Amino acid sequence: MSAISELSSLSRRKGRATAEEKKANGRDNKAAYIFLLPWIVGLVAITIGPMIMSLYLSFTDYNLLQPPEWTGLDNFTRMLSDARLHNSLGVTFTYVFIGVPLQLAVALLIALVLDKGLRGLPFYRSVFYLPSLLGGSVAVAILWKQIFGTTGLVNQVLAMFGIQGPGWISDPSTALGSIILLHVWTFGAPMIIFLAGLRQIPNMYYEAAKVDGATTLQQFWRITMPMLSPIIFFNLVLQIIGSFQSFTQAFIVSGGNGGPSDSTMFFTLYLYQKGFGQFDMGYASAMAWVLLVIIGIFTAINFIASKYWVFYDD
Amino acid sequence: MPLFPRSASAAKQPAGTSSRAARRIRKTGVVAAAAAVVMALSACGGGSEPQSADGTVELRFSWWGGDKRAQLTQEAIKQFEAENPNIKIKPEFGDWSGYWDKLATQVAANDAPDIIQMDEKYITEYSSRGALLDLSKYEIDTSKFDEAALNAGKSEDGLTGIAAGINAATILANPAVFEAAGVPLPDDSTWTWEDFERIAAEITAKSPKGTYGAAAYGTDEASLGVWLRQNGKSLYTSDGKLGFEPNDIADWWAFLKQLSEKKAVPTASEVVEAEAAPLDQSGLATGKNAMAFWWSNQAPALEKASGGDLKILRFPTKTGSADDAGLWYKASQFWSASSRTKHPEEVAKFINFLANDVKAGEILLADRGVYPNSDVRAAIEPKLTPADVKVVKFIDQIKDELGEAPAPPPKGAGSIQEIIKRYTSEVLFERLSPEDAGKKAHDEMKSAISS
Amino acid sequence: MTTNLQTLPAADNKSAGAGKPTNRRKPRESRGTLAFSRAQRARSLMKHAILILAGGLMIYPLLWMVISSLRPNELIFREPGLWLNSLEMSNYTSGWSALTHPFGHYMINSAIVVIGSILGNLISCSMAAYAFARLQFTAKKLLFGIMLLTIMLPFHVVIVPQYILFSQIGWVNTFWPLIVPKLLATEAFFVFLMVQFIRGIPRELDEAARIDGAGHPRIFLRVILPLMVPALATTTIFTFIWTWNDFFGALIYLTDPDMFTVPVALRAFVDSQSATSWGSLFAMSIVSLLPVFLVFLFGQRFLIKGIATTGIK
Repeated sequence: MSAISELSSLSRRKGRATAEEKKANGRDNKAAYIFLLPWIVGLVAITIGPMIMSLYLSFTDYNLLQPPEWTGLDNFTRMLSDARLHNSLGVTFTYVFIGVPLQLAVALLIALVLDKGLRGLPFYRSVFYLPSLLGGSVAVAILWKQIFGTTGLVNQVLAMFGIQGPGWISDPSTALGSIILLHVWTFGAPMIIFLAGLRQIPNMYYEAAKVDGATTLQQFWRITMPMLSPIIFFNLVLQIIGSFQSFTQAFIVSGGNGGPSDSTMFFTLYLYQKGFGQFDMGYASAMAWVLLVIIGIFTAINFIASKYWVFYDD
Repeated sequence: MPLFPRSASAAKQPAGTSSRAARRIRKTGVVAAAAAVVMALSACGGGSEPQSADGTVELRFSWWGGDKRAQLTQEAIKQFEAENPNIKIKPEFGDWSGYWDKLATQVAANDAPDIIQMDEKYITEYSSRGALLDLSKYEIDTSKFDEAALNAGKSEDGLTGIAAGINAATILANPAVFEAAGVPLPDDSTWTWEDFERIAAEITAKSPKGTYGAAAYGTDEASLGVWLRQNGKSLYTSDGKLGFEPNDIADWWAFLKQLSEKKAVPTASEVVEAEAAPLDQSGLATGKNAMAFWWSNQAPALEKASGGDLKILRFPTKTGSADDAGLWYKASQFWSASSRTKHPEEVAKFINFLANDVKAGEILLADRGVYPNSDVRAAIEPKLTPADVKVVKFIDQIKDELGEAPAPPPKGAGSIQEIIKRYTSEVLFERLSPEDAGKKAHDEMKSAISS
Repeated sequence: MTTNLQTLPAADNKSAGAGKPTNRRKPRESRGTLAFSRAQRARSLMKHAILILAGGLMIYPLLWMVISSLRPNELIFREPGLWLNSLEMSNYTSGWSALTHPFGHYMINSAIVVIGSILGNLISCSMAAYAFARLQFTAKKLLFGIMLLTIMLPFHVVIVPQYILFSQIGWVNTFWPLIVPKLLATEAFFVFLMVQFIRGIPRELDEAARIDGAGHPRIFLRVILPLMVPALATTTIFTFIWTWNDFFGALIYLTDPDMFTVPVALRAFVDSQSATSWGSLFAMSIVSLLPVFLVFLFGQRFLIKGIATTGIK
């Protein structure tokens, strides 16, 4: 929620920069709302209604086939004693805390490598982006098994060294790890955003640094990182939001059951099972709002922390 | 202004429930305002389209399955439309997993298809909540149906499903793997579980690494159902409770563990992997297993995938007599109808065509399992592929050995399979003992079907 | 594996020669290098080797899919690895015509949805982003917070209410539920993305335009939009890919097989309870990947074009 507090600092800074403008006409309410018109119409007509509906449903017993019945906080108290839900929270947090930094690091590294000074860059970029094109295709499960199955590529390589590897996706102790790898594998989206961000850094900064005799590493920390920080911040915020809601990959690889032994039972996968598998949409809605609060807290922390490391040019 | 389109059963309830709900919404202030928008929208009608001016009725018909089924079914639709020019059938189809999400959404929004292909796993879920039409009130001929298959679609809510095909739980054997190991095929009319264990272990021992005598059971409720019936228990009782005790299911897992220790079945990892794999990548299809647990209607597809001949076997028994195998005819899937259809007569006419018309049978053949109508079954036999004929023969063969038809799965039974799978892997990975798994699973199943 | 590693460099050279952007970027790349020393050449070679190896690992599964699509259906899971004993094109021909309509029909459906979505996102999101990034207005913080909230709720719980909404308008089985939300900037991801990019554009530029007497529409169209081409290209690429791959929305809202989009049509090859047509599935998956891949290849030129314009400062 306190994306807000960060924005307040942003507007403070902006206030300084645009004193002139303020003198002229104060706020740009009219212009702003015209620019925001499509978004506001969408919010009111499409987004907010169903959201509030789901909030209402979270206080009901709703099985999809019959009208919902008000049960107050019942769904929320049930969550306290739902061991599988607690397990799914653990799985999701592990995934977010390991998967997000890992994927962003890989994406940034590759983006930097693919940014300059090499022939055939468009080709490499496309190759590295290819896995992300697959999205939630049904083929992903099959392909992933070709690599991490009991007789997959990894174990074939290990066998050359006389090592008998486990069934990476079917062993409860390694299954989550293989899903995290799958996530890292599809780093294409943040990579592209990084690349687009790198394009925006004015070249003269590097030239000036070079005149001053700065090393590549110094250039990276003094120019690239600060100039790219709004984009890094964007990727971080969105990846955290997205990873908390991660669903498709685990759904496809485990065949929808979060197996083996619930080791890849993500929060949203459990939510989906409750809502559509067991017709307990009231409980699923309550779960969704709990997740929203969790994501909201992390996003707020992100926005507060961003004051200390994100550099805006305006 | 009801919050959601009311289902048939809800309409029977005193009107108080929904008005009470509506009053509560008003209390919640802001929530009410936006919810009201959606409510208002959802209240004003919906459902299938009314009859058009020229008297043609349009019905929506939805099923799950692959491209081959889509072709066959659309052909059958054409045949029906040719005979009934005033009825138009609009097909809607998709794969299994998306099918159920879509159906639940459509029913919730009062936008369900008129004719619905239904599965045993979900039929009680839908029928007990009033979403399905009682077909016994309409003209559908069931006189030629096997009793067990007909009963499978009956519940206290009436006849809500007409079996589209019948199945039996089987063990499929790949003779090539037996031969390579130099082990003779068992006599399935006399074999016991001990024989099963011995034969499977022997095949594993005499086969190349990575090949096992049998696939593990424990990935669905069918093999558990057979086991329980052979022990005088059942999965569910007729009053919608569990028909067994924790130690019954613990025994089942203990035997599986024993099979696993003797290497009669694959390692835990391989079992879990096979579970998520589609049929054509199963150990039986790829020649990695000599025997596996499957429904009879899956035999032709498996035979095709394995590229060789498969043999259909009865389940082993405790006593060594096939009469105690405890098998039953299961409906592979049902024809059901939405309780909110505006044209129940036409719907019934179409279902009657699918179930009883030889012309439909000649088009659909054995795609949805063996035809439950014995006349159609006999009439289309010359047209069936050899693999399908094998299945029909097996179904006919076990007719006299069948046990009592099992009680229909109660509400909430849709999650039983998932519970079984989960605890099977807990047992195989030795994270839980069979006893503990039995207790926990029993608890969880009990609460799943009682909520 | 080995064959694939050998063929990669060749393809690489070709695409490097053909790619105009690389040429345009030359001056920037040569920054600081006076002559190509032997050490540098070795380093560049190393870089290529590592990239090729990493790239090969990355796309191994895809290569496997391509190879499998050229195998007879029943051999796909029995022949391991990447060796092809025979070349089977029938998966492509039969897959193309296996469904009710030729596969191209579904690709056209997808293209309609995709183009509508791209236009919608580009216009509506950039407008909203401009307001959030550059304008002062009442309730700005609150609205920005609400925008972020809308992407924090798992979509499974809003499906049913949203379906009810669209079915009451009578939009089920039309493309509208898939396109109209995009026209109304409901994808907060892109609004936020553009906000971040606009904030990276030096403010002096629009101040200068303002002093020249330009109003907001003019600043937006003439100053901001041209400067955020990389963000617009990113939005286009992502919208294309995500919409092209969107399964759930299309599954729920499109009921008539005539209206199916590519991902829904692809599922028609899957029959988890019986025989899936893997060969056709893989072949058509590859066919459906082609447009996305081409859009990506083409679109990334605009990621590069950005520098020409942002170099002003």
